[in-house]
Amino acid sequence: MAGVTLYHWEPNANSGKPMLALMEKGVAFDSHYIDMLQFDQHRPEYLAINPQGTIPAMTHGARVLVESTAIMEYVDEEFPGPALMPDSARDRWRVRWWMKFMDQWLAPSFSMIGWSVFVGPMVRRRDPAELEAAIARIPLPERRVSWRKAIHGTFSEAEMAESQRRVARGIELLEAELGKREWLASDSYSLADINGFNLAYAIPLSQPALSNDEKTPNLLRWLRAVYARPAVKQCWALGRTDMVKRVAILEQERI
Amino acid sequence: MAMVLYHGEPNGPSLAVLAALAESGVAVERRRIHLLAGERHALPGVTEPLARDMGIEGEGPVLVIDGEAMTESVFLAQFFDELSDRPSLQPRDPHAHWEMMMWCRQITERLSPAAALLGNLAVSRKGLATMPDGAFSALIDRIVSADLRARWEVLRDGAADPAQVEDSRAKVSQAVERCEGKLADGREWLMGDLTIADFETYAWLAGMQRIVPEAFADKPLTAAWLARVGARPSVAGALAEADGEAAAFWAPGPEINRWG
Repeated sequence: MAGVTLYHWEPNANSGKPMLALMEKGVAFDSHYIDMLQFDQHRPEYLAINPQGTIPAMTHGARVLVESTAIMEYVDEEFPGPALMPDSARDRWRVRWWMKFMDQWLAPSFSMIGWSVFVGPMVRRRDPAELEAAIARIPLPERRVSWRKAIHGTFSEAEMAESQRRVARGIELLEAELGKREWLASDSYSLADINGFNLAYAIPLSQPALSNDEKTPNLLRWLRAVYARPAVKQCWALGRTDMVKRVAILEQERI
Repeated sequence: MAMVLYHGEPNGPSLAVLAALAESGVAVERRRIHLLAGERHALPGVTEPLARDMGIEGEGPVLVIDGEAMTESVFLAQFFDELSDRPSLQPRDPHAHWEMMMWCRQITERLSPAAALLGNLAVSRKGLATMPDGAFSALIDRIVSADLRARWEVLRDGAADPAQVEDSRAKVSQAVERCEGKLADGREWLMGDLTIADFETYAWLAGMQRIVPEAFADKPLTAAWLARVGARPSVAGALAEADGEAAAFWAPGPEINRWG
């Protein structure tokens, strides 16, 4: 079988999705850590693999795949191992709906906050000329705009307030949905849970007033259930930054 | 399993789903609703409205099964396709399937918001602007999502953002260029075989021919492909049911990317 190589940053958000999907399927892969904080994803070596300069990317033999959710679907269809999509067409619709809702509505709001809290302060310490040169290498114009805002901390008050509103609403919606069934989108563990955990694992720490055992019992039950999976432990062990070590909050009996 | 598909006039996401449904041969009760009158937000028998209320697509079609609202045109097309016993509109090979999903995602993330903005400004704005204040308030009060509500309000009362309009026109041109490039090897359909990508792309692009005609100039392969898709009985049949010119019907769609 052709070899699999995954180019990824931390087990968090988009990078963590294919990492965890591969581990749940039991697919061995070469792990290439791309340090986003060092702008590895805009260096020529990586752009030769993914000219868009986005992380993650996966190669399978001669095939190059990008976009984390689409990569997960490929992994599930291509490799043997436990099915990560449910049997019923209606449940599969629900998995896809939730992934799109998270990818396009909820995750960008989490990441706007995450970038202003983590990524911006971490990279801002560096030499401004070096940062400007790094930004100039970003291939996609819209990503250049986002990186400038993140690095210089210039997300507007209105943008941040809207992101905070969406995060709060998203937590309510996740809580309501997880009150209906064991897993997010169907009665079996699926790609929607892998996607959602990557988005939500640190919510009880980052949004303690909105998410705790009292306010969002179903969300906490689900986060702990996903965290209990061996593949998740294996995946988060690859994390290098304090950001992903926040997952340890799920070991607390009471949050 | 009783299924009711509530859909608007055959353009944009409603057209994509109607075409995929016809191709699938799945038996579904269809009910046409007036999207610009806000009827989508007052459907009978919806007990699980989440996908209707919070869908990314905006005013797209809604399939209701056992009270659960189901939305997003690509995923509804996949749903009908997966219930069908006819030849599939999704590649069986995982890599070809990935390519189709990537293509559809490019269309729904980049073309759909652009086309919806331009289409609504060109044809829907006038009707909403003349709606009495009370009637408009009653309409948008039913909309649960604050950001979808805001898109309705901006469409009626707000000034069009020239930068967004210009960027949207560019995105329509880029979508046509991508089609032209894909079809360059002489293939009949975008992915080679006929797939959901053809219907999703056609549904958002066909109406742009009158609004951004320059995007289609000197694009013979795309023009021929548009004609082929339009001639499919599934598409032609849906278009024939339009109450007027199908390509002139728009309702608020996906939001323009907040990240810039």
